[in-house]
Parts: sequence; C-alpha cells; structure tokens
Amino acid sequence: MITGHFGLAAGVKSRATQVPLWALMFATVWLDIVFMPLLVLGTETIAAAPAAHVGYGGVIIHADFTHSLVGAVLLSALIGCPAGLLWGTRNGVVIGLVSFSHWILDLLVHRPDLPILPGNMLGLPMLGFGLWRFPAVSAVIEFAILTTGACLYWRAALVTSDGNQRSRATASFSAALILVFGFLVLILDVTGVTG
Amino acid sequence: MQFIIAVILFVGVMGAVDARIPWPKRDSGSAAR
Repeated sequence: MITGHFGLAAGVKSRATQVPLWALMFATVWLDIVFMPLLVLGTETIAAAPAAHVGYGGVIIHADFTHSLVGAVLLSALIGCPAGLLWGTRNGVVIGLVSFSHWILDLLVHRPDLPILPGNMLGLPMLGFGLWRFPAVSAVIEFAILTTGACLYWRAALVTSDGNQRSRATASFSAALILVFGFLVLILDVTGVTG
Repeated sequence: MQFIIAVILFVGVMGAVDARIPWPKRDSGSAAR
C-alpha cells in the first residue's frame, strides 16, 4: 500500500490546516522511508508470499524493526517530537499519529508479518489481516481512501480560499493533483511496471 | 521504484502546490513557536 497512506494524509490536512501538506505526506510514509536503507543493507527484506500471485500485495515484508508495533510507536514519536517544536504540541501529536496510521493501514493489508516487538523479540505472534490476498479489494480500498482524502482536502482548501478566485483555483488544482498522482501511483503499484 | 516516485510527487510536488494555498499559519490553541 502506497496510495492509501497519502490519501489519509490528504484527509488529515483538512483538519490540521496549520501543518504543511509535505510534512503530513512525509510522516505518512516515514516508516517506509526508514525501511528503505535497511532494505538496501539487507537488515529488513522482502520475499514473495508462498503460493501468492506475483506483484501487488504478493509479498511477505520482513520489516521487523521499522514495522513492528513498538518500532512504529517509537519512530512515530521520533518524528512527532521535532514536528511539535516546529508547529506546536497539538500538531506534533498529529504528525506522530499520521506516522503511526501507516502501521494501522499496513495491519489491514499485510499478511501476518508485522511483529509486536522490534526484531520479533520473544517470538510473539506476527500480526496482519492479509487483505493483500484479495488484490482487487485492497486496490479498491486504497482508491476509496485516496478519493475520500482528496475530497476532504478540497473542501477545506476551498473554505480557506473563500472569496479569492485565484486561491480557489489553486485549491481545486491541488486536490485534482492529489487524485491524479494517487491514481498514477496506484496503477504503478498494482501493475508493478516500475519494479 | 513506485515508492520513490510517489514520495517525489506527494512530498515534493504536492508540497509545493499546497504551499500556494493560504492555510492558517498557526493554531490559536497551540504552543507553536
């Protein structure tokens, strides 16, 4: 899931208007951003899911540090603290929660590959509801999150820009871009054409 | 690869476009500094 995370961040912007959109977008994929260098180093890995189709959702992600429940909480606190210093305590909490929302959405789609403790210490049960076993359903849910987030963002941006035609045009353009980019990324994700 | 494209589009491009909307800078109830 990529598009769904960004759609959620766009929706949050409609209620946390003081936080720059780029910060919300960054926070929503913060866990994956930390995951990337660990993936390159081989500390965390991606493997094909047994008996799964190849491509969208057909993977087991061994992100035992960045995507463990406790790891996600710690990483979310790590990004929420500087955000709180920049934009105030409330908005720091918002950034932290947006970051943690990544784990919640991943919990819905991942097969049971999300540990509770970092490094799967103590060998506790792995979590994941496995919606990726139904790729079409997962894609529809991602698209629904995207469109809902873009609509909420659009409505808030129009209210903010009320009375200023130029700003209203920018608000509509910005919301349309969220939809276009999200749909594009979803297509790339589902088809896997970019690898 | 699609993840990197997505980050560029949403964090970079969308961030720049959104910055042109006159969102309120401060929450009156927060302790922003």
